[in-house]
Amino acid sequence: SVETLMSSDKEDDPDVIPEDSSLQTLRIRKKALERREETIIVDRACRQETLAYEMESHAIGKRPDNPTDLVEEGELLLTLNIFYPVIFQKHKDHKPYQTVLVLGSQKLTELRDSISCVSDLQIGGEFSSQPDQAPEHISKDLYKSAFFYFEGIFYNDKRYPECRDLSRTIIEWSESHDRGYGNLQSVKMEDYRFNDLFLKIGFPYLFCHQGDCEHIIIITDIRLIHHDDCLDRNLYPLLIKKHWLCTRKCFVCKMYTARWVTNNDSLAPEDPCFFCDVCFRMLHYDAEGNKLGEFLAYPYVDPGIFN
Amino acid sequence: MSSVPGLQADCEELLGAFQEADTVRFERLAELWRERRFHTIFYGRIRALERNKLTKKTLELAQQYFLPPYAFQIRVGALYLLYGLYSTQLCQPKQKIRIALKDWPEIQKFQQDLIDSQHYDAAYIFRTLRLARAFHFTAMPKLLNYRTKKKIQENELKEEFKDPSNRVNSLITNDVLEELMNIHDHYQKMKCVISADKSQPDKALSLIKDEFVITLKDITLEHQEWQQNRMKLFLNAKETDEISNKKEEGALLESEGSERASALARIKYRSYSAVVEASKSRRHRQVKLESAESGSNYGKSPSRSKKNSRRLQPAGRRDAVEIKGEMQVAKETVTRHIGMPIITEEENPDEE
Repeated sequence: SVETLMSSDKEDDPDVIPEDSSLQTLRIRKKALERREETIIVDRACRQETLAYEMESHAIGKRPDNPTDLVEEGELLLTLNIFYPVIFQKHKDHKPYQTVLVLGSQKLTELRDSISCVSDLQIGGEFSSQPDQAPEHISKDLYKSAFFYFEGIFYNDKRYPECRDLSRTIIEWSESHDRGYGNLQSVKMEDYRFNDLFLKIGFPYLFCHQGDCEHIIIITDIRLIHHDDCLDRNLYPLLIKKHWLCTRKCFVCKMYTARWVTNNDSLAPEDPCFFCDVCFRMLHYDAEGNKLGEFLAYPYVDPGIFN
Repeated sequence: MSSVPGLQADCEELLGAFQEADTVRFERLAELWRERRFHTIFYGRIRALERNKLTKKTLELAQQYFLPPYAFQIRVGALYLLYGLYSTQLCQPKQKIRIALKDWPEIQKFQQDLIDSQHYDAAYIFRTLRLARAFHFTAMPKLLNYRTKKKIQENELKEEFKDPSNRVNSLITNDVLEELMNIHDHYQKMKCVISADKSQPDKALSLIKDEFVITLKDITLEHQEWQQNRMKLFLNAKETDEISNKKEEGALLESEGSERASALARIKYRSYSAVVEASKSRRHRQVKLESAESGSNYGKSPSRSKKNSRRLQPAGRRDAVEIKGEMQVAKETVTRHIGMPIITEEENPDEE
């Protein structure tokens, strides 16, 4: 039994569907291809597709330089879908998500650090009077608390002294009356690895940070690590799929991504209105830096910033 | 994941041809493969991202045939098919075959069977796949994804490929029959003891048929025989007679008796395999005969069988037959669940 029995004898071009094929699959595919060619709807891979393919396959087969970073045999690989908290109408059928691969022996805190959410980068405060002094502190540094919720247990991030137990409110609420929830517990996130957890595949779990920014997490797959996977421990948690969000552009130049948003702006045509940095200053401040007109301005971080 | 259009039909066609060839040799499947040039299934100017997805779906579909409840021959054919698809795929690096943890013991048993029955080519192919690291060992067989399906597709597994699942036999085993016999004897003795005449139970106490255990055994044997016959003849069944014939044949059914078992089986088979030929205007809704395995379809579509029985009642009324009432309940249950062909379309064209 030799493999060559399977391959064709003559050199076939995999791009060309053979004319006389008896396979239904090919007949259907051929029709679709012909239709595509007639209308030239999809001619080449668009940049989103290239990006998606790159993300999926960039880490395949990678090996670490340092042998201690090698992932061992028998390690589990989990595939998690982390959903974005944005709610747009067009997302009603399929909510956008990113897919992350984690190793079973990794701590929960490593996953928490790898989740990039736009709410972490927000800068709070109204800065119409002092646009140059927008502070450098992003919300990620100010509000460090976060928790995961798996199977009735809250895993709180307690690595820093300013982290609070966000889940306490929920636990108190569920214990105050008989609400039908079993014993909810609260433990420290940094003490647990994924191997220690009891998980259900396909069941929605929660990640909450910044007090009220909630992400649903669903585990789609658990499998053993394979020879062809990325075996560099430092690259995990590995992002393999990300939803592409269109960034909001400046209202004036329509070229640059918006960095400021204004409300109650007498100089702007709509409320709220988005501006890039340059256009914002040119419109709202004169040459000496005095505020013109009445408005409230906030620094804006677009969700598409991670593209 | 929505399935690849046409793929299931192609795979089933290949496996069907393999089953008809009635062998488990790899050369045979390789011949069939080459005839159809199956490796071209991946052709067609597909870009990398979609190619990965397509190959994954193909392997997943083929992998389903590799596991029970499919018949041994089909499983061997699926193994060869997996080998072929895995080797001829165009993805670099190759997409793997996902096997769930719960299925591994069965697969290892399967491999052991292969070695024991000296099908060394199949065992060698399995070993080659293992060495080539073609498997992903996963927790769940199907990779989940989260798109709301526009319509829920039910994967109709081809009936002929399955091993006939003999639920009746697994329920009424020899042990069960023996025990029933014992209990029955005990019961009879009890009745004798408490009645006036010590040798015979009172007439007032005879509430059950005395030979019901024997009758039960006969019924199960008959069912098994009938199932085997039907599987054989199913492949040659033609659609000719009217459905009303079924009712007329049904009228000939009398109360049970093991002497009439074979005649019964014959008649039932003939009537239930007949399917009405749709009129020209309804040709596109031609009724197809699907075998109704005792357990497999019943669990899946109970609403269908109920609808079916409801539908048949008016047809029966038309021919003025009260056979259903005459048949003994046990018998009826047996025939209802097994003999009823599941008519695949929603409407019975005959009724219009």
